[in-house]
Amino acid sequence: MRITRLIVLSVALAAVSCAAHAQGKPAAKDAVLYFVWPQDGTVIKGGFWCRFGLRNMGVTHAGDDFQNSGHHHLLIDVNEPLDPNEPIPQDKSHLHFGAGQTEARLELPPGKHTLQLVLGDAKHYPFNPPLVSDKITIRIK
Amino acid sequence: MGEIRKLKSSRGGDPPRESTPRRLAAIVAGDIAGYSRLMQIDEEGTHLRVKRIERDLIEPSIVGHHGRLVKTTGDGFIAIFDSPVEAVRCGIVIQQNMVGRNASMPKHHWIEYRIGVNLGDVIIEADDVFGDGVNIATRLEGIADPGQVYISGGIYEQIKHKLVCGYESLGDRKVKNITDPVRVYRVLPDPAAFNRTRRRRENILIALLSLFLLVIASGVLWYVFWQPHGTVGGQASAPVSPETPKVLSPPQPTVKQAAPQIQPAPSGAPAAKQPSTQPQFAAPAAPATQSTSAVREPVMYMLRGGSFTMGSNDDPTEKPPHQVTIKPFAISQYPVTVREWNECAAAKACSFVASGNAEAPVTNVSWSDAKQFVAWLAGATRKAYRLPSEAEWEYAARGGTQTKYWWGDQFLSGMANCKNCTDIAAAEQPIKVGSFRPNPFGLYDMGGGVDQWVEDCWHKNYQGAPSDGSPWVEGDCVSHVIRSGSWRNDARYARPANRDSYDTNVRYQTHGMRVALSP
Repeated sequence: MRITRLIVLSVALAAVSCAAHAQGKPAAKDAVLYFVWPQDGTVIKGGFWCRFGLRNMGVTHAGDDFQNSGHHHLLIDVNEPLDPNEPIPQDKSHLHFGAGQTEARLELPPGKHTLQLVLGDAKHYPFNPPLVSDKITIRIK
Repeated sequence: MGEIRKLKSSRGGDPPRESTPRRLAAIVAGDIAGYSRLMQIDEEGTHLRVKRIERDLIEPSIVGHHGRLVKTTGDGFIAIFDSPVEAVRCGIVIQQNMVGRNASMPKHHWIEYRIGVNLGDVIIEADDVFGDGVNIATRLEGIADPGQVYISGGIYEQIKHKLVCGYESLGDRKVKNITDPVRVYRVLPDPAAFNRTRRRRENILIALLSLFLLVIASGVLWYVFWQPHGTVGGQASAPVSPETPKVLSPPQPTVKQAAPQIQPAPSGAPAAKQPSTQPQFAAPAAPATQSTSAVREPVMYMLRGGSFTMGSNDDPTEKPPHQVTIKPFAISQYPVTVREWNECAAAKACSFVASGNAEAPVTNVSWSDAKQFVAWLAGATRKAYRLPSEAEWEYAARGGTQTKYWWGDQFLSGMANCKNCTDIAAAEQPIKVGSFRPNPFGLYDMGGGVDQWVEDCWHKNYQGAPSDGSPWVEGDCVSHVIRSGSWRNDARYARPANRDSYDTNVRYQTHGMRVALSP
């Protein structure tokens, strides 16, 4: 009984993960996601404007399902790897820019912080393979 | 176990003195059965486990039930409560949690508490409590079977109609050093409870499977019947996963209208109507049936309002804590469900069409969608339905408490639907509304479950916030406030003070809503 249940569960899970796999759309091959500012290693005093750069793809609103476009997500001090089969989480360390913003005012506590950009599709899923920027480290004085 | 506490109460007739305040209290005595045996097997391990249980379970449970831990001995504890109901409930919570903690251990390593509860007039000192009321509690604990809660007749008389559990009378027992026999009852905290949790897990599995089959079936149906006619709603209404194209919103059942329920604002202690302290997967209360209006109204709870401290020092966005006065208003008992939402979609008043379990909270709605829903509901019912203000939301979520969570300062697992907070696996959709305990105001899912939009524009902290409970808005704001945290956020987000923001017009799969009503 238990074994059948386990088998059934694993089949169901496999099917679900297949279904989830269908989410990830490929990004443009030559697309590059990067920070315009700050750069890796920058030391900043107080709040700052963080500016996002995207080459060879377009920034659009979340919900707009156009080819070759997406919207920015900024990951602050996130260490766990991104799950390509799940929508990008939304919390205080995963900021969403679904209105098509390309910059954000950040106020971080003093100390070292890492920043990374992830491009999301219309439904906030990462592309497949994920289109992410380099993870940069900055220091707030 | 059960050392004799020196009876200081034997000088019965003495007038009370300042230094020894007497009061009536419910005394809970607990100790570990076979402690010396456990210590013999593994001294350090047992000690660590017991300390951890005291820290993670016993202390928070006592605080959560408005009690006070008077002292801990090596293998036990004594706590006092003002309310017998809370005292017994606390005992049950501890026992039920221990069942879960022991489940993964071999039987001879089980830590099992015996708990006795008695009502008595006692002398309370800073770090101890004296009186034969205490002795009787420890005696009851001494005769209790491991994993059981035994209560005295005095407690039984107080709680028998208030706490829905079974009680087995064990008759009058003569206990050591106490002249009169004591009537003893064994509490049967819903004996099926533990079996039920196991069955529940199976049920979830079965539900998952049938959902999966249903998805396939509806997919097929969709291809066969729906495809040629084109789609309704367009891009915006696409469900989260393309694999779940729901055919249509389910046919409307009989027309129902919920009369707003007036609930006197409770005085802090949770209403004593939950059958047991385990999270109950009970169906939401059926609204009163009436056939005057064409729309099903949410069940609304009237709150009396008053002053409370909004915010906290736990996060920069929640500072500064400030005093806010709330006017009377009503708020829905549950978040808006998929079924409720799709009535608005069917009326073509909401542009978003929700999918998934009809009793689960609606998700993937933007603030603008939420405004469409309240506008439709207000129009259809001719009542002033609206989004709650941020202050009203926090007031309702706190339920009269000022602690970090509404049940205390410590997080307790199984109290809210958040990430790693329950044994329910993360899913595409939160589980149905009302699956966890309501807060002291009788409201469900105020913290965890789904993020909930409120009327206010986002401000990065409370500098300059209004103090009259009104929404803090100005012109066109690009982002609005979400409250509650979702089933995909961790326990910190389920705090009533937690706040976050999101773009006004953007949908996200953890965002839902609840409605408010001005009287």
